[in-house]
Amino acid sequence: MIGETWALGRRSLIKWTRNPFAVIVTSLQALFWLALFGNSFNPANALQSSASGSLGPLQQAFGGATTYITFLTPGVISIVALTGMSFMGVDLVFDRINGYLDVLRAFPIPRASIYFGGVIQNVAKGMVAAPITFLIALVVPDGLRLGQGFGVLNLVGIFATIALLTTVFSTFFTGIAISVKSTDSFFAAVNFLTFPIMFTSTAFFPLSFFPGWLKPIAQVNPISLASDAMRLLVVNGSLSASQTSAFIGDWVGLLAFGMVLTLVGILMARNALKAR
Amino acid sequence: MSKIIDAEGLTKTFPPSAKVVDGVSFAVEEGEVFSLLGPNGAGKTTTIRMLTTLTSVTAGEAFVGGRSVKREPGEVRALIGVVPQEVTLDNELRGIENLMLAAKLHHVPNPEAKERARELLRLVELEQSGNNRVATYSGGMRRRLQLVTALMHQPRVLFLDEPTVGLDIQTRTRIWDYIKRLNRERGLSIFMTTHYLEEADQLSDIVAIMDHGTIRVSGSPSDLKASLRGDVLSLSVNDGCTDLTELLRSIPSVTEVTRTDDSYRLKLPKVESALPAIITSIASRDIQITETSFSKPTLDQVFLEVTGRSMRDALESNGNGHGDRYVSARVSESK
Repeated sequence: MIGETWALGRRSLIKWTRNPFAVIVTSLQALFWLALFGNSFNPANALQSSASGSLGPLQQAFGGATTYITFLTPGVISIVALTGMSFMGVDLVFDRINGYLDVLRAFPIPRASIYFGGVIQNVAKGMVAAPITFLIALVVPDGLRLGQGFGVLNLVGIFATIALLTTVFSTFFTGIAISVKSTDSFFAAVNFLTFPIMFTSTAFFPLSFFPGWLKPIAQVNPISLASDAMRLLVVNGSLSASQTSAFIGDWVGLLAFGMVLTLVGILMARNALKAR
Repeated sequence: MSKIIDAEGLTKTFPPSAKVVDGVSFAVEEGEVFSLLGPNGAGKTTTIRMLTTLTSVTAGEAFVGGRSVKREPGEVRALIGVVPQEVTLDNELRGIENLMLAAKLHHVPNPEAKERARELLRLVELEQSGNNRVATYSGGMRRRLQLVTALMHQPRVLFLDEPTVGLDIQTRTRIWDYIKRLNRERGLSIFMTTHYLEEADQLSDIVAIMDHGTIRVSGSPSDLKASLRGDVLSLSVNDGCTDLTELLRSIPSVTEVTRTDDSYRLKLPKVESALPAIITSIASRDIQITETSFSKPTLDQVFLEVTGRSMRDALESNGNGHGDRYVSARVSESK
């Protein structure tokens, strides 16, 4: 099954790299989030902090981040993963509409390889966007300030977290893409799901900013789990024992989400690909 | 010869509507070209989808290469090549990449796959365009590539669903040539659906006429046409007063004579062999033939005979918009 999955994933990646517009737009999405949202919604603006972009009194609420963009960058990496994973599945919708999915179903391959081929190509695309976002955050004014002692291990931890998050979302949205019959249904489902996931997360603001009733949702939101885990690595060079356990807790939460959403995705794909 | 496809009582119902395919039975021998001929909505595509394991079987059973489409779908898929009605290539990939992907999904080793891809591109005269993106191909080139994409794993049976629908007559003729070559030179068994009479007539060893989900009649195109009891000869003479009906009826092999004034319509197995006797008999009465024409039986007439309507009427009544294509096929058939 691995050979077929890779062959199908590779097919989508070849197409993606041959369409520079899609690659550029995906990458620039992060720039808009950081440069526009990062400046216009910067809480430090409201407090009229003396140091431009500095959070000053809010630094504790923002997990020790010295600039809003330092706090925001892990959130933006997570949001780009969410929007990327959700919309990139559209290739599979077109495959269904133009009959390509039927052709694949006539091959002697496990049906699961069609699903996992979709998952891995989405994850690969998502992993291209993450380092670009990171680099943009470093160069924008009042941008990302890495914690003292930030090293290779922190970087590895950040990309491992984003790989896990993209996998979590990809498994779910690939299941949706393979199940729906039209692009209208797909975009309606994606829009319906992504906005609540985005705005009930701590991608843009810390948990303390949320009203009480929303806090439990925000705490278990996979975007929050991934953003918080990456923030620990960005803001702190080396993690203390309590930070390490918080990081592990975020990862356990993400893994649990991953298992549940993969199961949901597999069931959706299985149902969609069986002969009727 | 052994049976490559064997269907018995194959039925498909899409609830809550009526049966789309209603208990069809047929067999295809190895190395044969078998066509399901009928208008759109007759149940042809559903039949091909059941045989290729894409649609489940409601009742009955079918075996492809001795494997059950119900119980061994994976094994059936390994034996077959499928060319669907729509072009389903990946436009962003190059021609050769589409072929290599198909080979990969059929577990053909890479060096062998490259060799086959080159050979197949040569077969359909695309060796010069193999490295171009499919998006740059014409409609005919895409059909040709699609045909050979289904051959990368050297299937035992090739399923073609309306292989030339929507193509111009030149491209259609080229596709027919490839299909004939694949069958003759490689012994490939072919199962196809079509609503083009000429296509079924030219390519098939066996034609099964399908209408309203059932197979109405099947046989070789020549046998089906012969079942109509021969050719029709129409002639006019310069004497409208003398009745030649009995004289013409007495000529061996003439099976039926109808007179309208000075015109006669004769039915006979083969007009070419009886024509000298007919001319001589009429001349013996000092009567001259002023006009003659004859027509060979067509599959359209067979369709008319078994369904009570012509293919043209069937296509138009289904409102499928293929009537114009049918006409163009029929015009070329009469040439």
